[in-house]
Amino acid sequence: MSDALHLLSATEIAQRLQAGTLTSRALVEALLIRYRNLNSKVGAFTYLSESDVIAQAEASDERRKQGKTLSSLDGIPVAIKDNIAVKGQPLTCSSKMLAKLISPYDAHVIEALRAAGAIIYGRLNMDEFAMGSSTENSALQKTYNPWDLARIPGGSSGGSAAALAAGFVPLALGSDTGGSIRQPASHCGVVGLKPTYGLISRYGLVAFASSLDQIGPMARSIDDCELLLNALASPDARDMTCFDKGQRTLLPPVAVNQLRIGIPRGILDKGVGQEVAAATRAAIDFYRAQGATIVEVDLPSSDLAVPTYYVVATAEASSNLARYDGVRYGHRSTQATTPVEMMTLSRSEGFGPEVKRRILLGTFVLSAGYADAYYVRALRARSKILSEHLAALEKVDMILTPTVPTPAFKAGEKISDPLQLYLEDIFTIPANLAGLPALSVPCGKSQHLPVGFHLVGAPLSEKKLLAASRVFEAAHPYRHQQAPL
Amino acid sequence: MAKGFDIDHLAKLARLQLSAEEKTLYSNQLSQVLTYFETLARADLPPAANVAQVIEESALRADIPGQSLGAEAVTKIAPASRDGQISVPRVVDDES
Repeated sequence: MSDALHLLSATEIAQRLQAGTLTSRALVEALLIRYRNLNSKVGAFTYLSESDVIAQAEASDERRKQGKTLSSLDGIPVAIKDNIAVKGQPLTCSSKMLAKLISPYDAHVIEALRAAGAIIYGRLNMDEFAMGSSTENSALQKTYNPWDLARIPGGSSGGSAAALAAGFVPLALGSDTGGSIRQPASHCGVVGLKPTYGLISRYGLVAFASSLDQIGPMARSIDDCELLLNALASPDARDMTCFDKGQRTLLPPVAVNQLRIGIPRGILDKGVGQEVAAATRAAIDFYRAQGATIVEVDLPSSDLAVPTYYVVATAEASSNLARYDGVRYGHRSTQATTPVEMMTLSRSEGFGPEVKRRILLGTFVLSAGYADAYYVRALRARSKILSEHLAALEKVDMILTPTVPTPAFKAGEKISDPLQLYLEDIFTIPANLAGLPALSVPCGKSQHLPVGFHLVGAPLSEKKLLAASRVFEAAHPYRHQQAPL
Repeated sequence: MAKGFDIDHLAKLARLQLSAEEKTLYSNQLSQVLTYFETLARADLPPAANVAQVIEESALRADIPGQSLGAEAVTKIAPASRDGQISVPRVVDDES
């Protein structure tokens, strides 16, 4: 029944494709019906070429018919955040600056997905240049939370999370610099993983803050997330921070009754919504009941994480976004007569307010006379945050917190208060600063709104995090709940 | 506003032209953020930065030409081009 196809997980789809009880074309046609009916309400996709995805589906079905050995992802649609390059498709980063840019090349992750036979399925809305926590900073369109269309889906990978929650696609790529995969995953009731820094190549990811940015898999289940992760994680010499072949062996999972889970002291005591705290406590109690050891850990520099992040990330952004000067690509102002004027006007016309704010902040913290007081101090704070996390992760296998202090807020509620929005990322930011893998898993509801818990592990502990989450997922209904669209 | 946050100077460094309204709005919004940064100023921090993403070994590759986009692909996405080159407003003044 075509109605049910959009509810299938990627794992289930793969089984049916392999068994011959489903074709990729039939799946894609069903998903396109849902997209046509509902994308105008949700606003997840900014681009989707129906003829192109059908052609990809038919090619997959043809490969299968020819009896070729196919990967588990062959014929399965994966939707792409609009800051990841797909040759011949828009690469707008939801910005006026790049609104007309057609990418001349494929990102590493796209090459990997094509090699696996996956269907590159459309492009997803985001906060402009990945700067934001609500997707309200998109210069293209609004995206709404499928669980409550008056609310935000989170950001900056809001389109990715909303597309999954709305049943538009079983798999999606996001990117995460301060929480941009995990926070929208939590707000939309889906799974999102930010891998260990260096595990997935950033070649073809439009740079925001290069020491923090990571591409990651998003899905409706742990198995699906892992399926996508395995396809994306491979060496790439074009990203000098990407691990070589011999450096990327993932740590083995630990049985749940051998797990040691660390809870930062006092984490639920202030600033966390009552129902979020209750759902997090319930998750902790669940693990304890399964035999895991729950340990209180100290991360004394936690209060430095958000300011450190906003110094480092904005500094790197001010440098990375200097390339948008109207010269080689992107928007060029028609009002200018001199090169400097052309650059200034192109940038001023092309960038939205949040991007400008962050460039100004980043310029300030790097400027002569202030770099020592801000940027260099932030690097020292970052170092301290990293060493505290690594020390804690010697005593425990993973650290558990809520993903976000409060559930999805109403559209427009926080948009005039940047600092309020920055505080959305209070639990997610440390993992970016420390380069550690981190995962958000649906764990409950606050009223009708999804709540997620957040796991951080030592470098290359993705399998441990996924295995621990799988145990939770198997015992709880959240994976099977559908947004009431 | 934090000492030294001169929005006109910073806008010039960042090649941004801001309206009077933008200057007021962003100054107000950023002043809160900068106050928040003061926790960094007061913190007790280790002397040296040992940042997570330090690359130990050389990331340089052999100096052998590889694939690049090529003039056609590059000029195709450029705002203006001519004869396989990107065109821009005059940079160098004629002195003659």
